[in-house]
Formats: sequence, structure tokens, C-alpha cells
Amino acid sequence: MLTDFGIILLFMITGAVFVGIGIFASALIRPSKPTPLKLTTYECGEEAIGSPWIKFNIRFYVVALVFLLFEVEIVFLFPWAVVFKELGWYSFLSMVIFVVILLAGLAYVWAKGDLDWDKPKPYVPKLEDLVITKKD
Amino acid sequence: MIDEIFLSQLKQSVDLFLPETILVATFIIALIFDLIYKNSRYLIAVISIIGLVFSGIFLVNQSTSSAAIFSGMLSFDPFGNFFKILILLTTIIIVLMSVFSKELYEGGRKTGEYYILIVGMTFGMFLLAVANNLIIVYLAIETMSISSYILAGYTKEIKRASEASLKYVIFGAVSSGMMIYGISLIYGLTGSLTFDAINSAMISSDISGLTLLIAGLMIIAGIGYKISAVPFHFWTPDVYEGAPITITAYLSVASKAAGFAVLIRFLKVSFFDSTNYANDEIWTLIGTIDWQIVIAILSVLTMTLGNLVALWQTNMKRLLAYSSIAHAGYILMGVVVMTDIGVTSVLIYFFVYMIMNLGAFLVVMIIANKTGNEDIQKYNGIGHKAPFVSACMVIFLISLTGLPPTAGFIGKWAVFTAVLKSEYIWLAVVGVLNSVVSLYYYVKIFRNMYIRNFEDDSEIYEFSPGTYILLIILAVPTLIFGIYFTPLLDWAESSVKIFLGV
Repeated sequence: MLTDFGIILLFMITGAVFVGIGIFASALIRPSKPTPLKLTTYECGEEAIGSPWIKFNIRFYVVALVFLLFEVEIVFLFPWAVVFKELGWYSFLSMVIFVVILLAGLAYVWAKGDLDWDKPKPYVPKLEDLVITKKD
Repeated sequence: MIDEIFLSQLKQSVDLFLPETILVATFIIALIFDLIYKNSRYLIAVISIIGLVFSGIFLVNQSTSSAAIFSGMLSFDPFGNFFKILILLTTIIIVLMSVFSKELYEGGRKTGEYYILIVGMTFGMFLLAVANNLIIVYLAIETMSISSYILAGYTKEIKRASEASLKYVIFGAVSSGMMIYGISLIYGLTGSLTFDAINSAMISSDISGLTLLIAGLMIIAGIGYKISAVPFHFWTPDVYEGAPITITAYLSVASKAAGFAVLIRFLKVSFFDSTNYANDEIWTLIGTIDWQIVIAILSVLTMTLGNLVALWQTNMKRLLAYSSIAHAGYILMGVVVMTDIGVTSVLIYFFVYMIMNLGAFLVVMIIANKTGNEDIQKYNGIGHKAPFVSACMVIFLISLTGLPPTAGFIGKWAVFTAVLKSEYIWLAVVGVLNSVVSLYYYVKIFRNMYIRNFEDDSEIYEFSPGTYILLIILAVPTLIFGIYFTPLLDWAESSVKIFLGV
């Protein structure tokens, strides 16, 4: 039991050391010319400082979900690929079914139009907007 | 090198998993058909029904099999099979009910996804009914919950439906958070997540004390949320009021059934000594924590609060919501007993509860189709406008109260007998007092329907033949099982055997 957690501890230490080496090495090598813009925190094009109560585009989540779907697929495909040769056709068929299910999901998302990014439609002024019309 | 034994076990597991596989296939086929035939009104409902019926056929075939499959993750046994058949019957009735729901089809709403999600939810509940591992329990609860969150807010243009859905999500997130914390504590204490391994860890190393109590309570909280037992019931009235009536009925029966299945399995397999069990059906607790008292307190709170608050309700859906909370309390009484008699009584009560509760909700739905809302005031004079429907409603309400000669009486009789046999007399007394209280608010409904004065009695409501057929399907068993209940009793008695691991 303890050795199992020991491996996790080792993993955490390795991770910390790995990151530490990376940061230290790049600090040695890189030129340092900071500008105010460079010093801001990068966060996917969103304003990093300010009220968190802003509206995110809901489509971020849809795309993230679809992405997650296929990422999980990869997680299943890797161990399967390792033992594929020994398991034979049975496992091949299983994996085909699994991928087909995921593809059905993709087809669904596609057909429902969730992959089209909602572009803001620029409003082109028409003649009617410029002419003041009398109501009634 | 791949283990041949493992592989053959896997193949056997896949074979036994056939009913669930059919549900998944139905889900995907319905999804694709929904994309192709966008404007069909009932196509997806028909596909769902076909899939559910096929699944049911295979389910009935494996009703005697008893095995741990997928490396002990699921245990297929008669007990789980009973609940699966119950859930499946409920689902079929709900799909049929939905076809006649005016609320659901209002304004040309597309309902393909509605039926697809119901099939998905059924799959989650099937898993929950046979789950033998805490991670699978969590996974199944999420599968079922996520579908039900969407279904509760399916009529999203209606403000109270969206509100119901949001409340449901928030309460659901909190309770599954609590549950997963409890699971992690259990894992820390016993080093295992499979129920039978928890049991053997408890026997071998004498785990007890405060941590176990807290962990157990947290898991019971997660499950209690699903069965709307009292300290975790706050979502129930709001969600039941806001959701479409069909979904309200579904949540009140099927997801409760799945919750009770996993509650009984978890308590029995994890916390009771299985070595004496084979000889004389007596279950003895392991450890110092008396789970029976915990469940008894939960049961008393649940039925008392459910019944007392139901007295003041003016909306039918809210009233039935509190009545379903009260019924969860009665069923918990059977869980307290924790012997084979107790489990049998739970099974009988649940089957009866399914029929009568679905019936009551069906009547509420077809009257709401005409009047547009579910106020009890609107029921004034319904007895004269729709005589047959009202007569059926009276049968369902008498059955919900638990008076003979209806099926509800058999359910209550089974539970009270079990409680008295195991000498929880105070619990039985509380239960009987609660039944008396419940009489008032059920009678209030048919007082409104028949006796209350009303303006005009010239209007007669016409209903489609389909709704009449559905009503008869539910009303006749409510009467028949009240008089001739031997098959139900036999089925329940043969279904109490819970698979206790290898």
C-alpha cells in the first residue's frame, strides 16, 4: 500500500523537478526584454484581471466537450493498440464499435450545427434606416 | 500474454450485458434516425419502444442468472433483475404517456431527443440497479442524473421548467460531491471499492468509528438525494412542479427504484455478515455502527415531513411530490428491517407504488391537457365532466392511501408485517399514524372532484382512446393486485437473493 503511494510521491517529485529544470534552463538562455504587454498573464484571449462575471461564449464548452470525447478515445486506443495483436479480431470488432459510437456522436454534433462557430453578423445599414418613416 | 480465463469471463460478461447493450444500440439508432427524419412526430418514440421491449425480453430470460461480471464491477442477480424489469416497465409506460402529452408537443417542439435521453437514463438506472462497485455507482448516478437534468428542463421556454432544471443540477452536483467524498473515505478505510471486498475488509480488520459513520452517511446522502429522503429532499417539490408531468412521474418512480436498489445492495453487501446468511436468513451487522437505526431515523423523518407538508399543497404536482417523499419513507421502513422479509416487502411495495403513482400522474397529465394547469382548485367538478378518468383517479388515490381492496394496501401490509416481525413496533406505529394523515390530502382531491360546487356541468371532456387504454392498463392491476397478489408475492420472494460476491 505504502509503496503504491511512494510511486505517486516519486511522480510528484519528478514532475516538480522537471518543471524546475525547464524554468531554470530557459531563465539562463533566454534574452530578457520585458514590455508591459509581455508581462501580462496569458489566458486564451480573455482579460486576465477584472470581474469574473463575464459572459463566455457558450460554444467554447461545446467545442471543449467534443474535444474531450476524442481525447478520451485516444486514451482507450493506446492500451488497446498495445495488446491488439494478442487479442485478435474480437478486440478489433469491439474497438470498431466503440469508434462508430463516437462517430455517431460527431455526426450528431455536426448535423445539429454545433461545430459552426457563431460569427457576429455585421449589420449593413439599409436605405430604410436612413429615411425617417412616419409610423402609422 | 493474455489470460485465457479472463478473456472467457469477459465474453460471458458481454453476453449477460445484452439488455444494456440493446439500450445503447437503441440510443444510437434513435439518434441517427432523429437526424435523418427531422420532422417526424412519433418515429423516435416508436424506435425507443421497440428497443425497450427487446431489452425487456432478454431481461426476463436472464431473471434467474446470478453472476459477478466485468471483474466484479456489476453483479447480475434476481434482485437487480427485479428492479431492472420495474424500471423498464416504468420507462415503457412513460414513453407511451409522453406521446399523449400536450405540454410536450406544444408549439411544434421537437421531441426526438426527449425519447433518446429517456433511453439513456434507463441505461444509467440499469447500471445502478446492478452496480457492485462504488465507482460504478457514481458513474451510473451521473449517467442517470445528467439525462434527467436535461429532461427536467425539456420544455425550456417555460420559466419554471428551466428553474427546475437548474435547481436539480445544483442540488445534484452538491450531493454527488458529497457522495464521492464518502467514497474516497471508504476507500481510505478499507482499501477497496467493491462491496464484497469492503465487507471482507470490515470483517478482517475491525473498522468502525466516526470516520466510517461519516463516510457511510455521505454515501447515503448521495443515494438519499436520488430517492428524495428527507434531509436531502429540498429539490423534489420544485423540480417535480417545474418538469413536464411525464418526467415528474418518471423521476418519482424509476430513479427512486434505482436509488433503492443501490441503497439496499450497498448496505447489505458491505455492512452485513454474509456467513450466517445461508442458514437462517438473519442478517447481522458488522462493526459498531447501527445502520438500521440510521435508516430508521431517515425513514421517520421522510414520511412525517412528506405527509405533513403535503397537507398544505394547492398544486397537484407538488402534492404528489410530497406524497412521493412520504412513500419513500414507507419503503425505507422495509429497508430498516434488512432481512429477506424486509427486502421482499420493499420489492412488493415498489411494484405497487409504480402502478398507482404512474396512474395518478397520468390522470394529472390528461386533465392538465384540458385545463392547462395542475391547480387542485381546477379539479372542482371534474368528476362530472370526466367520469371515467375521475373514477380511475379515485382508485389510484385510495391505493396511494393504502386502503383495501387496492394494491396499495398489499404494499403497506407487506411493509408493516416486515417491520412488526422484526420488532420495530415504534416504527410501525409512526408509519400507521402517517398513513392516517395522508388520507386527508388524498381525500381532498376527490372531494374537489365530486362534491365541491362548480359553475357549469354541461361541458364533457373528451379524451383520445389511447389515454383510456393507458388508464385501464394502470387501473386494472391496481385493483387486481389488491385482491389476487400471489404472483407478485412469489416474484418478489424469488427475487430477494442478492449476489454476495465470489
